[in-house]
Amino acid sequence: MLNPLRSEQEAFRFLIYVAIAVAVIVGVVLLLRAVL
Amino acid sequence: MEAAAHAVHDEHHGPPAANVSSRVEAQFLGMLLFIISEIMLFGAFFTAYFFIRVVGEADWPARGEELPVAIAGVNTAILLSSSFTMHWALEGARNENRRALTMGLLTTALLGLTFLTIQVNEYVHLGFSPQDNAQGTIFYGLTGLHGAHVFIGLSLLTFATVRAFRGHFTAKEHRGVEVPGIYWHFVDVMWIFVYSTLYLL
Repeated sequence: MLNPLRSEQEAFRFLIYVAIAVAVIVGVVLLLRAVL
Repeated sequence: MEAAAHAVHDEHHGPPAANVSSRVEAQFLGMLLFIISEIMLFGAFFTAYFFIRVVGEADWPARGEELPVAIAGVNTAILLSSSFTMHWALEGARNENRRALTMGLLTTALLGLTFLTIQVNEYVHLGFSPQDNAQGTIFYGLTGLHGAHVFIGLSLLTFATVRAFRGHFTAKEHRGVEVPGIYWHFVDVMWIFVYSTLYLL
């Protein structure tokens, strides 16, 4: 299991995942706001 | 055969010494506990933010105020790219590539410094202050808290960079870069949440 506090490599991977997930969520919210 | 049996008997058995963890090194454990406490600290600030916006149903930002979304977006890209250079530095340490290590650390520190400079410049030109309203208080509180963490990260990076130039790190022993690296990525993760909630949503 990914543990971002175990090593720098895992912390870096976690950062990438968070960036992607937040970008998708923000994109969806902004899209819904524009449509509704 | 007998010597082998003795060697096995000489190995340490039983629980570790009282002040030593058998699973996590002290430096990692320290950073782990520190980061967990930091998550709780940021959580308190985010709670205040959501309380103002969701429970208080206040305008965000306050009426007549504007946040520089584009400039902060460029600043976000600068900070995120510093995590890539940090990772590059760590890969350099792991592969005994001293040039990658030193240049990676130096670039990371410079990008972090650029981020802080742009943020201070943003504060100067914002047009509202922390005491103006609740939105201003939580905006400066959250971004300022994050900025303080970038400053701490920069201090750690400065030590690591000086040590790297002095040739202190090897492929096997580079905790002095790895621990600040974990901290730096944590600071970047926090900024992603700060930027997306305060500026974008």
